[in-house]
Amino acid sequence: MAQRIKATQRRQQAGFWFVLPAFVVYLMFFGYPFFRTVYLSFTEWNGLGDPKFVGLANYTRLFADPLMWSSLWNNLIWVFWGTITPVAIGLVLSVILWTGVKGGIIFRTIYFLPMVLSAFVIGVIWKWIYHPLYGLLNQGLKSIGLSGLATTGWLGETSTSLYAVLAAAIWSYIGFCVVVLFSGLQKVDSELVDASRIDGANAWQRFKNIIIPQIRPVLTMVLVYTIIGGFNVFDVVWAMTEGGPANSSEVIATYTYEAAFRVREVGYGAALSMVMTVIALFAAWGTLKLRKAG
Amino acid sequence: MAKKSTNNLVSSIGKYSVLVFFAVIALLPVVMSWLTALRPKSEASANPFSLPSRFEWSNIPKAWEVGRFGDYFINSIMVTIPTVIAVVVLSALAGYGISRFKFRGRNLMFYTLLLGLTIPFQSVMIPLFYQLNSMGLLGTYWAMILPATAFGLPFGVFLMQAFFEDLPNELADAARTDGCSEWRIFKDVMLPLAKPAISSLIVFQFMATWNNFIMPLLFLQDEDIRTVPLGLLYFQGKYTRDLSLLSAGVAIATIPIVIIYVLFQRQFVKGLTAGAVK
Repeated sequence: MAQRIKATQRRQQAGFWFVLPAFVVYLMFFGYPFFRTVYLSFTEWNGLGDPKFVGLANYTRLFADPLMWSSLWNNLIWVFWGTITPVAIGLVLSVILWTGVKGGIIFRTIYFLPMVLSAFVIGVIWKWIYHPLYGLLNQGLKSIGLSGLATTGWLGETSTSLYAVLAAAIWSYIGFCVVVLFSGLQKVDSELVDASRIDGANAWQRFKNIIIPQIRPVLTMVLVYTIIGGFNVFDVVWAMTEGGPANSSEVIATYTYEAAFRVREVGYGAALSMVMTVIALFAAWGTLKLRKAG
Repeated sequence: MAKKSTNNLVSSIGKYSVLVFFAVIALLPVVMSWLTALRPKSEASANPFSLPSRFEWSNIPKAWEVGRFGDYFINSIMVTIPTVIAVVVLSALAGYGISRFKFRGRNLMFYTLLLGLTIPFQSVMIPLFYQLNSMGLLGTYWAMILPATAFGLPFGVFLMQAFFEDLPNELADAARTDGCSEWRIFKDVMLPLAKPAISSLIVFQFMATWNNFIMPLLFLQDEDIRTVPLGLLYFQGKYTRDLSLLSAGVAIATIPIVIIYVLFQRQFVKGLTAGAVK
């Protein structure tokens, strides 16, 4: 008996060797640099020689840094519009597709298409769309007689740059919302929807009271995923404006990149990246809570 | 009765106009840039909504040549294929180990890996840059393959673990009583059953690596080892004024991916949404 338990234990221990290779690679190129970031955030370093320990200096500077706050504010704008717009459009489109239309699969394929493009490619295409002279947007506005609205450059003006980048990001993200929400809708009990129709519920009531509660888990996942993405956004902003002009589209991630790799204030860059880390960990903790509650 | 069918007609016209409107929005930027790629240079900055007077196919090979896209495609392939293989192999192994065995350190390893799902790349990129530099890897394909693999593992392990967890025990137990080693059970019995999860992971990891933005930007700066998307960005910097050439570059970078997407549409949607649906 004791021997058998021992044999089982030995067998179970084999699992360790299955996990080990992945774990080692992960620790070397993810785990270790992560802890190193925490350490660097307490130092001053220009990338050469040894980092100098400065205690909390980077963090006190961080809290007094107006550019950090304006970047974080841009992240909040991004999270707000970058979440409600694609999710709302995604909900409308996926519910329409779910009611059964001809060519549904073709529509889904088309909506999803921008998702397969790299942020670099999206950036290049949209920079062309926004080009002041021969861009699609200004040309389009002129052709419908609204040349007054055509500005000298959607990305070149501090008042519009952030929203112009955001629009490109939303454009590329709608398809993801459609597809994920559509897969959630497959589980909706259509008999319940029919029953409420017979009971006289109108389309909006059916949507709000019958459909939404049934896709709540998927909807929550999409929201969380999008919100976290909004706090970490880097790619499309960097590809289109690099945070400019005059920091008007700066977000925490682009500011981090500039501080660490352009200005070579490595310690301060590390401290800035900790802002994202803390927000991400909070978001993960909140999601876990939400999942347990739901 | 007549009223009802009119209502139906109105509502389906409404439905289709919404669907078509957003389909046009999704397609227009891409299609317009493809169209511009075929315009003669003299017409490029004219009204982009008009049809080109003739198709200038030579823009494409010209952009391919001056943009060095041939090199960039090779670079993208050289970093993407090894990364996908490494992530899939390591994730399948680890996911299997975590879901099928109760060993000491299992929870610690699993939760440490899962933590990686929540931590953004920006939180590790700074020391990683200096680490790769001191290892002498910057400027080689490894500078991207290794971090991209490490960064892909949390999701890969999570996906494979969840999949293996749902498989029944009986097959493995039967093989075990037949005296199969644990390695043989994994390789010959369980792994073949995991094909659906593996194909999702392949697509997901392929797209994540091919389209990756920040890793090539940081680690593959040398002109000789740029990937396609990074190459395109620098190409735009150089040829801002030559719109048809630039658009030809966009076409070169997008058309292969779009063709692959249309061919493997189902796997793409499954793979790219696997993270959110789980």
